[in-house]
Amino acid sequence: MINLTINGKAIQAPEGATILEAARANGIEIPTLCYDKAVEIYGACGLCVVEAEGIPKLLRSCSAKCTEGMVINTESERVVQSRKIAMELLMSAHDGDCVAPCQLNCPARTDCQGYVGLIANGEYDSAIKLIKNKIPLPASIGRVCPHPCEKACRRKNVEEPINIAQLKAFAADIDLNKDSYLPDLMVRTGKTIAIVGGGPAGLTAAYYLNIMGHSVTVYDMMDKMGGMLRYGIPQYRLPKEVLDKEIAIIEKSGVKLVNNVKLGKDFTIESLKAENDAVIVAVGAWKSSSMRTPGEDLEGVYGGIDFLRAVIQGNAPAIGEKVAICGGGNTAMDACRTAVRLGAKEVYVIYRRTRAEMPADALEIDEAEEEGVIYKFLTNPISFNGENGKLKSVTLQIMELGEPDASGRRRPVPVEGKTEEIPLDSVILAIGQKLVQGDVSELQLNDRGNIEADPDFFTTSMDGVFAIGDATNRGASIAIEAIGEADRCAKAVDAYLNGQRLDTRVPYISKRDEATIDYSDRKKEPRKTPRVLDPEVRNKNFDEVSLGFTEEEAQAEASRCLECGCREYYKCKLLNVAQRYDIDPSRFKGEMPQQYTRDENAFIERNTAKCILCGLCVRSCREVMDIHALGLMGRGFTTEPSPAFALPLDQTKCNNCGLCVQLCPTGALTEKANLKKQVPLDEIYTEETVTINGQKATVLVSRYNGKVLRVIPNDEISRNSGLSREELLELITE
Amino acid sequence: MDNKTIDLSLLDGVLDEYASVKGSLITILQHTQDIYGYLPKEAIERISERTGIATSEIMGVGTFYTQFRFEPVGKYLIMLCQGTACHVNSSELILQTIKDELGIDDGQTTEDGLFSLKCVACLGCCSLSPVMMINEDTYGSLTPDKTKKILKELREAAV
Amino acid sequence: MRVVIGQGSCGIAAGAEKVRQALLKENINASIAGCIGMCYLEPIVDIYDEDRLTRLVKVSADDAPAIAEYINTGDRSKIENLVVTDEDSEFLSKQTRIALRNCGIINPEIIEEYIEKDGYTALKKALGMTPEEVIDIIKTSGLAGRGGAGFPTWFKWNAARNSEGEEKYLICNADEGDPGAFMDRAVIESDPHNLIEGMLIGAYAIGAKHAVVYVRAEYPLAIKRLKNALEQAREKGVIGKNIFGSDFSCDFMIKAGAGAFVCGEETALIESLEGHRGMPRLKPPFPAQSGFWRKPSNINNVETFANVAWIINNGGEAFAAMGTEGSKGTKVFAVTGKVKRSGLVEIPMGKTLRDVIFDIGGGMKTDKPFKAVQMGGPSGGCIPADLIDTVIDYKALGATGAIMGSGGMVVMDESTCMVGMAKFFLDFTAKESCGKCIHCRIGTKRMLEMLERITKGEGKEGDIELLEELCYAIKDGALCGLGQTAPNPVLTTIKYFRDEYEAHIKDKKCPAGECSDLIEYSINADKCKGCTLCARNCPVNAITGTVKKPHVIDTNKCIKCGKCYSVCRFDAVVKA
Repeated sequence: MINLTINGKAIQAPEGATILEAARANGIEIPTLCYDKAVEIYGACGLCVVEAEGIPKLLRSCSAKCTEGMVINTESERVVQSRKIAMELLMSAHDGDCVAPCQLNCPARTDCQGYVGLIANGEYDSAIKLIKNKIPLPASIGRVCPHPCEKACRRKNVEEPINIAQLKAFAADIDLNKDSYLPDLMVRTGKTIAIVGGGPAGLTAAYYLNIMGHSVTVYDMMDKMGGMLRYGIPQYRLPKEVLDKEIAIIEKSGVKLVNNVKLGKDFTIESLKAENDAVIVAVGAWKSSSMRTPGEDLEGVYGGIDFLRAVIQGNAPAIGEKVAICGGGNTAMDACRTAVRLGAKEVYVIYRRTRAEMPADALEIDEAEEEGVIYKFLTNPISFNGENGKLKSVTLQIMELGEPDASGRRRPVPVEGKTEEIPLDSVILAIGQKLVQGDVSELQLNDRGNIEADPDFFTTSMDGVFAIGDATNRGASIAIEAIGEADRCAKAVDAYLNGQRLDTRVPYISKRDEATIDYSDRKKEPRKTPRVLDPEVRNKNFDEVSLGFTEEEAQAEASRCLECGCREYYKCKLLNVAQRYDIDPSRFKGEMPQQYTRDENAFIERNTAKCILCGLCVRSCREVMDIHALGLMGRGFTTEPSPAFALPLDQTKCNNCGLCVQLCPTGALTEKANLKKQVPLDEIYTEETVTINGQKATVLVSRYNGKVLRVIPNDEISRNSGLSREELLELITE
Repeated sequence: MDNKTIDLSLLDGVLDEYASVKGSLITILQHTQDIYGYLPKEAIERISERTGIATSEIMGVGTFYTQFRFEPVGKYLIMLCQGTACHVNSSELILQTIKDELGIDDGQTTEDGLFSLKCVACLGCCSLSPVMMINEDTYGSLTPDKTKKILKELREAAV
Repeated sequence: MRVVIGQGSCGIAAGAEKVRQALLKENINASIAGCIGMCYLEPIVDIYDEDRLTRLVKVSADDAPAIAEYINTGDRSKIENLVVTDEDSEFLSKQTRIALRNCGIINPEIIEEYIEKDGYTALKKALGMTPEEVIDIIKTSGLAGRGGAGFPTWFKWNAARNSEGEEKYLICNADEGDPGAFMDRAVIESDPHNLIEGMLIGAYAIGAKHAVVYVRAEYPLAIKRLKNALEQAREKGVIGKNIFGSDFSCDFMIKAGAGAFVCGEETALIESLEGHRGMPRLKPPFPAQSGFWRKPSNINNVETFANVAWIINNGGEAFAAMGTEGSKGTKVFAVTGKVKRSGLVEIPMGKTLRDVIFDIGGGMKTDKPFKAVQMGGPSGGCIPADLIDTVIDYKALGATGAIMGSGGMVVMDESTCMVGMAKFFLDFTAKESCGKCIHCRIGTKRMLEMLERITKGEGKEGDIELLEELCYAIKDGALCGLGQTAPNPVLTTIKYFRDEYEAHIKDKKCPAGECSDLIEYSINADKCKGCTLCARNCPVNAITGTVKKPHVIDTNKCIKCGKCYSVCRFDAVVKA
């Protein structure tokens, strides 16, 4: 035995052992990307470097042998710097998307590609389970979300983005109409958490903290939970029955819900903190913003969310026949369409810019117009005129578009001396909403008048008190933003309860340069949208406008997904190592060594653009299998593993043993799963014994949500069996 | 370029001599290129059959070394030296001249099949820099005008 | 009278063979020799009248009748202008030649001429000693690896000798890949038996029965002459079984490389010898334990072996008497670039760079001042003018950031852009990287891209620091010597010419006027005579003007080819 020290720990290693072997045998992890016991030591990746006292050069621990008295440091500054730059260089030449842009653009990082793919395959249970990893209210969110995911969807470069939001609603509705999915809960911790506010933020944080084993109570001032989803969104867009069902599931999962209690009246943050281990403030923004236009105090002038809430609560004000809504966002759309449904004859939308600049969802803008709404673009109210304290008309300043402002939109400027007056019975100001500051006087506010919360840790000025959602930082935003914060906040609170501080920032992931992506080989297939009620029918009632996807429509729409995210995301060794170091590959941005190409046979798909040249595929094919289907071609930067003469794998001696895929540390080689449409999933792998031609053999079986997705040969017998993947699948039962 | 059928029997001698001598792959490929002017796919397959070395290995070796070509070359193979002394003495101008005169880039062959251009590692004639070799002949102390003249003479000689 | 024409590769390229043919027509049958090393004077014809030598330089085929007349009649009048000047003769007289002692003097294709110069006596002498005694002499001599690393030769031999195993290999690395170096080529082409003899002594010392020479494919003449020499040596019984009647047997094999600089690295060379891709192996194990066919192997470079016979004949002390404390004997340099007298220079260690470049090399061939000398090729660095008195010694050169290297010495004047120089070498190493390890494969490519951006005027603040960070990371992380030394040209140019980098990055200017994206041509109206020569030569018609009136360059049209600059006879075209 040899005695040596690794990271200050005295260990013994057998004669001839490498430093890597000695370290791993003692639970000291050294990263490697080109090393595997199955093949000869290669030394290419250089990640396994360690520093040895008295030796000036860094040692590659995969090959350097232990010597008596050696003193090794596997994590010295020099070692870490070497690995960091190696990873930065490697990632600068790795052309791939770890996850799809839809997921990245979703504030909650919902795995859109995952559930869209599962829906395409008809795997609805798996789809809802995946969605509920990030959104506990998917049927509601699917209906109301302005879907940033779709804005990022690359299908738009072919024709139009995937209808991701409606697909989510489709899957969630199926789940609501049967024995709904309930999450598995972790062991109870005995910790209690109070959440103030039962809107999307509060409910989401509650749902996930409950799953993590904590006892959570949500307090809300209204008579029902849901916050703005309930009191700010009209019934025709989100039927309250849907919301009720989703909230009921959260309650059923174990979250305690308490209504009709108000912060500052029934309790204080301080008092909650005293009784609980942590408090989350998610009170939202419930005050309509003012436009500071003369005449706002006239009778007949309403705040946008005040108006919507009154209608939802059955106290619709008498708005008369001529109604104007000021604003261009989704609240303005909700208000104008509600006004139509209340029977107003002339409904105007007053907006300073043009249709193209409207922040509201395009579909909403169109549907409102179909229902008879009149747009007054390039106008701005300069006064609300009244008689005896009651609104009579509005005077509009005519605007034109000037130079672009900081947001990149062209700035509206008044046209000197041009005005217009419209007689009105009422006006609804839908230009934004604000925090009611008095409610949270215990917490420090920022200069915008919102609660100051750390954007990554969600901590506030009070220890153990966290804050999320519309009430914080930059103020009101969309529901999915609040949900994303809530999900991350739940993790941060969980860490806090364990005495840790968790950085919830998204770790490094690899992204492709959008400009280099070629879509020319994609066939055009138009986007599908669910049928809707006819405008003449729907403008008279509050029935849900959308009729939802049929199963056939949903599967067809989901099948359009381009599958941007990498299938190997969940088991990518490369990403795992990359995330361990604080890397910034953009420093070394440059040419990519390989074109993005696909060579696929029935089982294996090759994409050398993702290859990191660890050589494991070529080496295992040669050294273990003696098949030599692949060789290293060319040299230097553009070296690539490929069959001779760039033939497809099908035309080589490849017997589909799959060893190369198994050893590939990234997504350059992937093996297709037993799915119609391929989906990256967090599969669970188990080694199982089967009988092949009368012999015992071991295979690796991957399952997702119980379904067998792959059977991969895992020993000499199974690799040389000649059985196809279908035949192997038959050997395994679900 | 016309695709003549490859006479594989020309390889017999080389393969008889080297096929069973271990470590001879590069030597075999060098002889093969001497015979055909490049490494035809058919020849590589034959070498694989006779030596038992997989085609993926042979192509791996073939594509690693700059000496080997996989396409036929022109009547005149221009090898322009890329050594340091040539660089210091403005070989870049010579490269540009050849490109302009022949309308081809490094690694390409003119449409008439007359000239192929290949930038090569140092030819070791540094005192004559900038230098190029055309087939077996070395041309030194090149200037753009001198280069043009050499190309013109060769073109005329070929007609 | 005996007539000898130098026929090394560059002599032939300069027209030596045409001269020989022309002389043949005059009924003069000239014999050939290798390369004397005065490359700038090729073709060279040496005429011996008894022992009196008349050396004619820059001879052309047209001079044949005049030479014939001199030989036939003794009339020197028509060849006086060809006779080498005293000044040029100093190029040789100031040298001390050991490795090159026979180069350009004997006929490399005739073994007898080598034997006449005491050839193979050292081998005979060595075979009369024990291998340990031979190694001892080499140890005394202080001979170190001439390939660049400068590792003591005796130590490697001793390690290989002490390695377990019956079958051992002695390998000569003649894969001279440094662009700008040709010492090894000259030795093989001019004195192949000296190499063979040195290798046989080495093989005897380590106990190898097999000797292999790995020559780069770009040296066809060297391969031809070495093959010929081996045949003759075999006939004479110098190689083969029971050499000189001793128990020592050794066979020889030549393997031609196929174009890969990385094969100069020991383990990559071995991979290539075995017929594989030349990708370096991990060390340890070192070749001395497990090399060619996994047998103990010793690898030395050509020049190292070229010193061995001399050392055995003259004693280790005689060799060690030359040089400095840490660097013994002589070193051969291939001096090229903007130097007046370019060629092969062998001098004792301990001389200065000034001795080589100015005293022997004659200084600059242009009217621009000396700027820097590049040593060690892609693995080496640039030494600036103010370090011209640096002593030629492994340690002293290493301290500058450059290396002794294999002997490439490229002299640069003020017109050479140092960022461009770094780019040139990175382009080379990036192309020559085998692609195995990340640091070299991607790192050199990224460095090259950064340098390309800088020379295009797209450099940005922080680029120099980022380059340096990357350089040190590559030095630390690359698998083999190629990658580990690839940053040297960048690091030394940043160290000595940082202002030039900054000028490219901040001012978008190339002080040397070499980076075409950063220069602009204009016409000085005071100097322009209106001769129209520039306008007629402009390939894109960017120059306009009437006859005898100053011309103007349209900078929007100008492609910066520099044609106008080079054709103007009045210095009226300004490059800035």
